[in-house]
Amino acid sequence: MSLLQIKNLNVRFGDANAIPVVDGLDLNVDKGEVLAIVGESGSGKSVTMMALMGLIDAPGRITADALTFDGTDMLKLSGRQRRKVVGKDMAMVFQDPMTALNPSYTVGFQIEEVLRQHLGLKGKAARQRALELLKKVEIPAPESRLDAYPHQLSGGMSQRVAIAMAIAGEPKLLIADEPTTALDVTIQAQIMELLLNLQKEQNMALILITHDLAVVAETAKRVCVMYAGQAVEVGQVPELFDVPAHPYSEALLAAIPEHSEGAERLATLPGIVPGRYDRPVGCLLSPRCPYVQDSCRRERPLLDPQAHSLVRCFYPLNQEVA
Amino acid sequence: MSVVLTARDLTRHYEVSRGLFKGHALVRALNGVSFELEAGKTLAVVGESGCGKSTLARALTLIEEPSSGSLKIAGHEVSGATKDQRKQLRRDVQMVFQSPYASLNPRQKIGDQLAEPLVINTNLSKAERREKVQAMMMQVGLRPEHYQRYPHMFSGGQRQRIALARAMMLQPKVLVADEPTSALDVSIQAQVLNLFMDLQKEFNTAYVFISHNLAVVRHVADQVLVMYLGRPAEMGPKEDIYAKPLHPYTQALLSATPTIHPDPLKPKIKISGELPNPLNPPSGCAFHKRCPYATERCSTEEPAFRAVGTRQVACHYAEQFL
Repeated sequence: MSLLQIKNLNVRFGDANAIPVVDGLDLNVDKGEVLAIVGESGSGKSVTMMALMGLIDAPGRITADALTFDGTDMLKLSGRQRRKVVGKDMAMVFQDPMTALNPSYTVGFQIEEVLRQHLGLKGKAARQRALELLKKVEIPAPESRLDAYPHQLSGGMSQRVAIAMAIAGEPKLLIADEPTTALDVTIQAQIMELLLNLQKEQNMALILITHDLAVVAETAKRVCVMYAGQAVEVGQVPELFDVPAHPYSEALLAAIPEHSEGAERLATLPGIVPGRYDRPVGCLLSPRCPYVQDSCRRERPLLDPQAHSLVRCFYPLNQEVA
Repeated sequence: MSVVLTARDLTRHYEVSRGLFKGHALVRALNGVSFELEAGKTLAVVGESGCGKSTLARALTLIEEPSSGSLKIAGHEVSGATKDQRKQLRRDVQMVFQSPYASLNPRQKIGDQLAEPLVINTNLSKAERREKVQAMMMQVGLRPEHYQRYPHMFSGGQRQRIALARAMMLQPKVLVADEPTSALDVSIQAQVLNLFMDLQKEFNTAYVFISHNLAVVRHVADQVLVMYLGRPAEMGPKEDIYAKPLHPYTQALLSATPTIHPDPLKPKIKISGELPNPLNPPSGCAFHKRCPYATERCSTEEPAFRAVGTRQVACHYAEQFL
């Protein structure tokens, strides 16, 4: 059985008629798997993970046929029960390390807080473990860093501390929401390497949320492409990048400058993501899709298995089997 | 070809207070940058945060006076120019900023914002201004009815089009763009980059394109200048730098940039550590503490920025990478 099972997840802000921000999402994550969720701003990738961790406040509403983590139904948990799971078995690393840490407390205190809350460690034992964690995330001079405040650390360092806090409870699932977007490239490479090493070492599942396809290509085994709240393609990594089946995946890949080497202009997808008032009746990509047919405008396609991947398209591309 | 922008040994130093009883410290944010830029060409400035690329942008746009060195815009020396001359020079250099959310006045209509450069710098009548603004809006892909709208009614990509239109209103000789697409999604980034290239062709403007994204730079640049800790590390034609980077920092930067089709046979060059404290830069070569090839000499002798083949490199051992 998979570690995380999401079935028909819907998240709306407002009443039941409001436009879903996450629209019928199905997703499974196995133990020790690295899955990437890719999409542009507003595609619902972060909201999905917030829903999973119970971080959606009113007026947000979550409905799902199933939202199971490690055999527990996350929807049925009370706040108190959920807090036992979130932060321990399921932990998250956020995009901006500077705001993820509390500026008023030392790094050591913040890591020890996790250990106190979730593992019941106190005093010397907690401090010892915090030190070990800082060593594990490869922070230089960890003894002195325990008493440092977040403002004394660089962005890369702060992100390492945030990772140390996240892995303190030895989670089964680590969710990294754009963990390197705020960092420089050389630091990004260091942090990604650290995350992958920890993932292997502790055999935890890693969900990597990002908008950077190149990062996905180098790290993930499986990828879910989201568009306007829906998963449009879910597939294995080299295949999805080599032979994308959904027109949106294809357009996203083509828009990367790396793909237009030597070309004068970059390939673009005209228009923008549909908003609240112009959500199409048919396929959500239909107003922008270069391959659009009449049926696409009338009906919404389902996420169906095709040659290489699960695809939400009536006319998937690259289907000839080699 | 006509040279529109010449920088010679441009420096910008800041005095930083270190507290009551200590003297001021000097941060050499920009330390001896020289280049020439021809009309219609693009110089890309690449580097990580703190390398001085934004300080360079501020010096080029006359927002800040350089501490020393010479800057010539369209053949006119900037230092020693009178107030009236400076006003004229400012017309010739315009800027596009990173965040289109912060760079547009939320209380002013788009049409008025675009007309403002004309109000300040020309004697055109209201009707003439309106005509010019409408023409420019067409050119950047905005519709005439957008004239009366406010910035909050636009998406990030559209806002960046507006910011670009505003910068191009006076048809400057040089456009300085500081990370113009890093706040945008990939598919929108492609649209905006295309617009940049179209306008450059149309007006024969010289671009100084500041970015940390090497894939974007590869698409837009003619010349690339790589900076590290306020100093130039390597400068040369795009093709040469991407084909065979000579400075170890450029090599590391290129290697750390994730790609869509990673080559498993090509080992990644990993550099450890982070950017040194600019208040206390290392002796000798600024990069020697992180450089995998560093020798005794690198820690004592600062390498000169010298010509090697088609480009300039600040490394004692540049020849060995040829």
